Amino acid sequence: MEEKKYEVVLKIFILQIVGFLMILPFIWLISTALKSPSEVFTQTLSLIPKKFMWTNFVDIMDQAPFWLYMVNTIIVCAGILLIQLLLVIPAAYAFARLDFPGKDIMFLLFVIQIMLPLEAIIVPNYLITKKLGLLNTRIGLILPFVASGFGTFMLRQTFKQIPKSLEDAALIDGAGHLRFIWHVIIPLSRPTIVTFSMISIATHWNDYFWPLIITDVDRVRTLTIGLGMFVQQESGSDWSLLMAATLFVCAPIIAFFLATQRTFIKSFLTSGIKG
Amino acid sequence: MRNKLEKYRSYFFLIPGLFFLFLFTYLPIMWATWLSFNQWNLLCFKPKFAGMANYVKLWHDAVFWLVMKNTLIFVTVSIFPTMFLALVFAVLIDERMKGRVYYIYSLFYPTLIPMAAAAMLWVYIYSPNLGILNVFLAKLGLPKLGWLGSSSTSLWALIIMTFWKNLGFFMLIYLSGLQNVSRELYEAAYIDGAGWWRRHTSITFPLIAPTSLFVLVTAIILTFRVFDQIQLMTEGGPGNSSNVIVYYIFENGFKFFDWGKACSLTSILVVFLLMLTLLIFGISRRHITYSSD
Repeated sequence: MEEKKYEVVLKIFILQIVGFLMILPFIWLISTALKSPSEVFTQTLSLIPKKFMWTNFVDIMDQAPFWLYMVNTIIVCAGILLIQLLLVIPAAYAFARLDFPGKDIMFLLFVIQIMLPLEAIIVPNYLITKKLGLLNTRIGLILPFVASGFGTFMLRQTFKQIPKSLEDAALIDGAGHLRFIWHVIIPLSRPTIVTFSMISIATHWNDYFWPLIITDVDRVRTLTIGLGMFVQQESGSDWSLLMAATLFVCAPIIAFFLATQRTFIKSFLTSGIKG
Repeated sequence: MRNKLEKYRSYFFLIPGLFFLFLFTYLPIMWATWLSFNQWNLLCFKPKFAGMANYVKLWHDAVFWLVMKNTLIFVTVSIFPTMFLALVFAVLIDERMKGRVYYIYSLFYPTLIPMAAAAMLWVYIYSPNLGILNVFLAKLGLPKLGWLGSSSTSLWALIIMTFWKNLGFFMLIYLSGLQNVSRELYEAAYIDGAGWWRRHTSITFPLIAPTSLFVLVTAIILTFRVFDQIQLMTEGGPGNSSNVIVYYIFENGFKFFDWGKACSLTSILVVFLLMLTLLIFGISRRHITYSSD
């Protein structure tokens, strides 16, 4: 199929413009984070700072415990993912390969949860977490997210595709369900499990609403909430420091993405969604 | 007897997940429904049964109707144009081998940035005196806009920012859907003399329908629960012009401490989301055929 010359030029032109417009805010962010406050106040459109102020990053650390926030975020994300996998893999296995009464209704309960995000039922969830005495704890930040309808749905689709003959062979060899899951199901479904894990990390690294509601001390705060508090404390006076803090919050997840980009995009494009 | 028990053994695999699903999804919904029929606020420290009082209060609450209107505007305007452009860019990127990765990244990276960070960045971009948009308008000799500070533009400013955040995500899902569309169909249409636009309206758009459904569901979930950027960028203002349902629930619960009203709003939102789910699955069953899996 030959493309006409003007078509090719037009397409590349559109993609270049859109790509540039999308990326411009981020360049603006990096540039401001490295400028001195006085330069920001000159209403300049210049993207390259006159003087690179690396000290901005030192300054934000003096004003708020960003490293502590990062450690908390890592603990919370890892905790969520670990418990999610422990709950989701057996559930998805049962829905994909076992028969039991009430299966359809149970599956529906899991799937409906996809449409009912925590944000929608934040008030009663807050009341429950308060009753459980989990306000201002990392456990409280983790538990509401561990039962993932999305993960159960996604893994069930993959588990279903594993040939029945493998199961028969394993059962003849005397393996129980747990050994079958551990030695056959998990290794064969690795791409989907990896994809789910990445989506989970990317989602919960960004959580803002829940930590905002249930934490009010620095000890357990996560990065996003730390940033929100930092903004209030600065009250929008010093844009270069605010942007330095913003960049610090974005950097880990972007670095994580760049380090795993191949797996991320590839698994997303191949094993992710099929209709 | 033994056989009967045997059947239920599968529940061992489900119980841990079901427990947390119940504790943090279904129990809260039931509790919110019950509390929505109770008075529980700063005047009445313990929940007290009050019948439909909260719902009647909402019915006469002008802010509630404004919030509903804002939510619907936000949801529809953020979903459909974003979906359409995401599909167009996915098609354009799919046809370009050169520079493909660069285009994917430049569209996709906003999805990865925490919404809180993206919100801060856009507060700066929209800032009246120092923001890039107004500085740029001033350089062109155009009047500056109020963006987040003006009740006529605040909701739209949030929509633009949300578009920037979600476009790449939808684009990537579409790109994955396009891998299943056979190249030969395009060849055939090309030989028959169909132009670029015609090829895609007749082949891509219908064949990508299952992916579109998936994107639509994802988009609905993402936009109905919008909160972070509102709380950080406008706090629903000025004058509730950018207040949406989840933010209004937050305000009633955690700022005005009217738990009863917050719970009746929660119930309304849950019913709305469940009806939407039914509607979507009804439509999809009738109009979209899935490959057997």
